[in-house]
Amino acid sequence: MEFRFKSFVSPRYLWSKSQSRRLCLVSVLYFGILGNHSLILAQAPSSSVVSPDQKTIQVLLERIEKLEARVAQLEASENPPAPAAPGPAPAEQPVSTPASETPMSERMDVSETLLRIRGFGDVNFHGDTQKGSPSSFTLGQLNLFVTSDISEKFKFLGEIVFEGGPDNIFGITRGSRNSFGVDIERFLLQYSHNDYFNLSVGRYHTAIGYYNTAYHHSTWFQTTEGRPFLFEFEDRGGILPIHNVGVSASGLVPSGPLGLHYVAEVGNGRSSRSPLDEEQVQNIVDENNHKAFNLALFARPKAISGLQAGFSVYHDLLTPLGSPNVTETILAAHAVFTRPRFEWLNEALVIRHAPAGISHVFQTPGFYTQVSRRFGAYRPYFRYEYVNASNHEPIFPDIGLRQGPSVGVRYDASESVAVKFQYDYTGLRRQPAINSLGLQVGFTF
Amino acid sequence: MGRVANLVLVRIAVAIAILSFAIGSLFAWSLAAERNASESLAIIVNVSNTLDSVSQDELRRIFLGERSHWANGRRITLVMMEPGRPERKALLHDVCQMNETDYSHRILHGLFTGELFVSPKTLASPMGVRKFVFNVPGAIGYVRAVDVDETVKVLRVDGRLPEAKDYPLHIEQRTMK
Repeated sequence: MEFRFKSFVSPRYLWSKSQSRRLCLVSVLYFGILGNHSLILAQAPSSSVVSPDQKTIQVLLERIEKLEARVAQLEASENPPAPAAPGPAPAEQPVSTPASETPMSERMDVSETLLRIRGFGDVNFHGDTQKGSPSSFTLGQLNLFVTSDISEKFKFLGEIVFEGGPDNIFGITRGSRNSFGVDIERFLLQYSHNDYFNLSVGRYHTAIGYYNTAYHHSTWFQTTEGRPFLFEFEDRGGILPIHNVGVSASGLVPSGPLGLHYVAEVGNGRSSRSPLDEEQVQNIVDENNHKAFNLALFARPKAISGLQAGFSVYHDLLTPLGSPNVTETILAAHAVFTRPRFEWLNEALVIRHAPAGISHVFQTPGFYTQVSRRFGAYRPYFRYEYVNASNHEPIFPDIGLRQGPSVGVRYDASESVAVKFQYDYTGLRRQPAINSLGLQVGFTF
Repeated sequence: MGRVANLVLVRIAVAIAILSFAIGSLFAWSLAAERNASESLAIIVNVSNTLDSVSQDELRRIFLGERSHWANGRRITLVMMEPGRPERKALLHDVCQMNETDYSHRILHGLFTGELFVSPKTLASPMGVRKFVFNVPGAIGYVRAVDVDETVKVLRVDGRLPEAKDYPLHIEQRTMK
């Protein structure tokens, strides 16, 4: 004990009694303060902890803010008002009142582009048992989805799609097998007044049922490789007027927890195959003065998140050359339940064609059901679809009966890339059934 | 004898100091842990916004883009913090009830269908969020309750302010960096 004390209090550090006592006091104070300082730090709100360095930073930040505000003032005095779309937050002005309630400026800012472009694409490998149909790698659609916030109330939305292969309109093909074409699939100027009234003009996807407005020209969004046959595009043999050119109004219906929505559309409708290989969507000229209209009503009840159910009525007058006019009515109903992990889509519709001067009405019923469940990155799915058109159907006699299941799995390789593997069985009337396998890589960029 | 007394005194002083430091640190740690375990997430709007209170369900609809306008007709501008921020994780978990991937997919899909009129504004810092909300009358965002200042208005959620005991939105420890 004596030795240790001696070693500790070596001749070099010999202290007097008073020095030792001072050391004791200083040590107690030092460690005590150190310990309690962290206590104080913990008790105080983080914002109020200000060390000398933080004070300096605070002062510098305040100076930067003042300078930013000054720069903003100078810029405002030199340039016209800021663009309407909310861009990066401008520097906080040294004023005590917030921004005024006046609407944002509707003036155009020529100094910046307002376009946003997102791309979607897919590449496929497909093989089936049809005669004369070799297995092939196929480039799918390259979709440039373009939006622009023109102002607080106006927005542009477009889909420019580069697509390979010939058009197939009710079994009649047009164009080269390996060339690419460009289609403006959607071309819309949207006006958003409030939750109850939104207006769009241009080319849109008709609000028939659910699938057509939930999924557009991107396979990446879809669970399955392709669309149900009922909702196949017009230039891929589809039987519905998927696209329309005209005006569409939509919004909420005040209905409390029922969550009712409406869609009302008026447009040119589709051409009535005169001649058959013409563009189905009447982008420029309507072949008659009658306009197609569509009314849809659907509910998204608050009580059941993910549920949507509704119906739509579409009406048009088709005027094929050399044939009597045909009144077209499409009645559709759907009930879907979609959540991130689980989806169950059910849709049924009937297409009624009533030729003038004939009492017989041709009715083409169709439906599909699709169910899928996500397990991590994998999402197995199943779909069954059915459509049954008369062989004497005046508008699409080539469709006949098509029915069968599809099974597959989607694997999300990353947030932006999905790989799908799918088997389809398609039963046909008076023809051998078709078995097919497909592999698809869909992506967004 | 005097040296021995000194030695004892020094040892006592050192022991007290160490004990004091240990106790202080322990308290500090426990208090910090308690504070970090559950911090309130404040929902903020522009001070000119007439809305004072919002339900969790309404909040969910707003942040999922299902509501695009305030009652006065002004467009809602969503302000999100960058992915990975604890505030954003808390909002996605407590309000949107989905993870980052599902939320991104949902927003992208909403923009694609046209149902979502404008994509959310993404900002990096609470100061940026406050400034944006201050400058854009239709904006709605979120910050930690301690990051709120007088330039923005805090909304009651289900009738409660962030300092209330049973306030529903919290940045849990699991979401802390």
